[in-house]
Amino acid sequence: MSMKGFDHGNRGIGIRNHQLILPSVVCSTRVSSRIAKEMDAITFAHQHGCGFIGNDVGRITDFFAALANHPNVSSTLVVGLGCETLQGNELAAKLLSKNKSTNYLVTQESGGVQGTVNSGVAAATELKAKYPTPQVVLPRLHLGIDLSDDNIKVDEIVSALTEVGVDITVAASHKNSGLNFSDLMEAGVHVILSFPDRNQPPSGFPLIPTINVASGSPLHTAISQDFDLSADSSPEEIMEKINSVVNGELTKVEAIGAGEIIAGREVRSV
Amino acid sequence: MSKELTAFERSDGRWGLRNHVLILPLHSAFSATARKIADESNGAVAVSHDWSGEVDGDFDRIVKTISGFAANPNNFATIFITIGTPNELGIIELARKLGLSKAEVLNVAELGSMGKIAEIGLQMANSLLKEAKAVSRISAPWSAIKLGQECGGSDALSGITANPALGVASDRLVELGASSVLGETTEILGAEHLLAARAITPEIGARIVETVARYERSINYEGIDMRGAQPSRGNIEGGLTTLEEKSLGAAKKAGSAQFSGVFEFADQVTKPGLYFMDTPGHDTEQLTGYGAGGINIIVFTTGRGTPTGSAIVPTIKVATNTTMADAIPDLIDLNAGTIADGLKTLSDVGGELFDLILEVANGQLTKAEKGLHHEFSLSRMYNTIIR
Repeated sequence: MSMKGFDHGNRGIGIRNHQLILPSVVCSTRVSSRIAKEMDAITFAHQHGCGFIGNDVGRITDFFAALANHPNVSSTLVVGLGCETLQGNELAAKLLSKNKSTNYLVTQESGGVQGTVNSGVAAATELKAKYPTPQVVLPRLHLGIDLSDDNIKVDEIVSALTEVGVDITVAASHKNSGLNFSDLMEAGVHVILSFPDRNQPPSGFPLIPTINVASGSPLHTAISQDFDLSADSSPEEIMEKINSVVNGELTKVEAIGAGEIIAGREVRSV
Repeated sequence: MSKELTAFERSDGRWGLRNHVLILPLHSAFSATARKIADESNGAVAVSHDWSGEVDGDFDRIVKTISGFAANPNNFATIFITIGTPNELGIIELARKLGLSKAEVLNVAELGSMGKIAEIGLQMANSLLKEAKAVSRISAPWSAIKLGQECGGSDALSGITANPALGVASDRLVELGASSVLGETTEILGAEHLLAARAITPEIGARIVETVARYERSINYEGIDMRGAQPSRGNIEGGLTTLEEKSLGAAKKAGSAQFSGVFEFADQVTKPGLYFMDTPGHDTEQLTGYGAGGINIIVFTTGRGTPTGSAIVPTIKVATNTTMADAIPDLIDLNAGTIADGLKTLSDVGGELFDLILEVANGQLTKAEKGLHHEFSLSRMYNTIIR
């Protein structure tokens, strides 16, 4: 495989060149989406960052830090509200200790919604200009496999990929693709090959292209158009699809901008 | 004399203060398509969430939240996007039982692809919006108003300005026959005995106390002392010192009326009077739970300022202090800081807020509505990692 990569410094070499607008709290998801739209950057809605306690504060902070440090990220703008539990400036400081291409701003100190959108677009534009991304050859691909459907056997494709030098992490701890995606993100995989449960639709994750492989289930057969690969795909076909996606082809969920994050929580919200 | 209240009458006799067409994904994977349909439509709204059909300890709570939100009287119609599992179809059935008269269903398994969903969904949304436009507001009784009280990002002035002003407006609405609901169990911890003393019966008082005790047990069970996490850092920076001080201020939102009952999270608010609902303090989980309970207008007091809003329930932001109201004007609808500035009395601002509630009920858009702040969060009680 010849693979195009983007040199993202300390974040590593990625296969996508995404700027991340990271809302550190649910209250700034709308402002973040407005900034992201202007910048053609990636963001996502979530319900975390405040009204939570105990281990979850550290857990979600680490989750967001792992997202921002992902190799597919070119630069990160953290957008906070100001009074939340998970303080955006502390998250940004944590990120900055590893990656200079990070900035943050806070709605309560930026003149409100429009003020934050304006400052956000300016800050994100500056990050892009200051940290250009050289195109390089990806030396080694790290593939994640979401095995929510434990009836699927992946030994054949795993050995074929290992043989051509692909690193593989398999996530099979959950019957839920979303939680498996989170584990794979934290492992730093470039791309995900997802085998969703037979009764689940294809789904995606922000920043990381997700290739969905159908099972032969009635649901998957009914919505076969929404899968990147059919149930009877050969290892060669799977490898060919991975190669195209790594080199820029959008997956089906990537093309429609789907990709919700499902971050696990230990404690009830307060 | 006050102006007249007008609203949209639903076929089951409930009243809507808005006439929304809501696009509601019943699976997290459809969130992006729901947003796309709403964005491209002539004014439909959508929400996103992270539930993908899990049947765990929170299943009943999630079903109650999503079905109730779909059935909120502010919705003219709700378009569900579903894979068609019995559990998802059950949510649609439940929403119909709660009074949703126009439920449209986009079944992905039947339509064959997300592309088709987006295409048909857009046509459907625009045609429903056209129908919705043809419906007029009519004169409505005060009982049409189901007010939810909320505070977030509280500061030292919350208990002196915005919260008691909301109390004045709430008392007046309750007297006229509206429903008014105090929530945020977290934020009455330490003040529950004062609220219980205002219950219409000792049993209701005991339930208020027990709801708070149950909440504290559920947190202590996790080995955490709430008093270590509340007041939050933002509250402390805002000048609050203890959880009890925060709670005493938060309880001021409920004015001085008597409590007619206690609701569980997302219970349907049907009768007039002042009530307490067991909700988390988490702003958007509470907004969502209120919407699920049929609350059709919310007043949200804030010391630090927040843009948060609901896709379907107009949310009026009241600032506790002038400094913040001036610094972030595009998210504040009314400044109650004028009380602390000595420019206005509590009764003046309470009256202004009452008038504003009426204007917004009659259709005036809030800042959060204008800014399209459509946050939606599912409240969960259990660990979501082990599934």
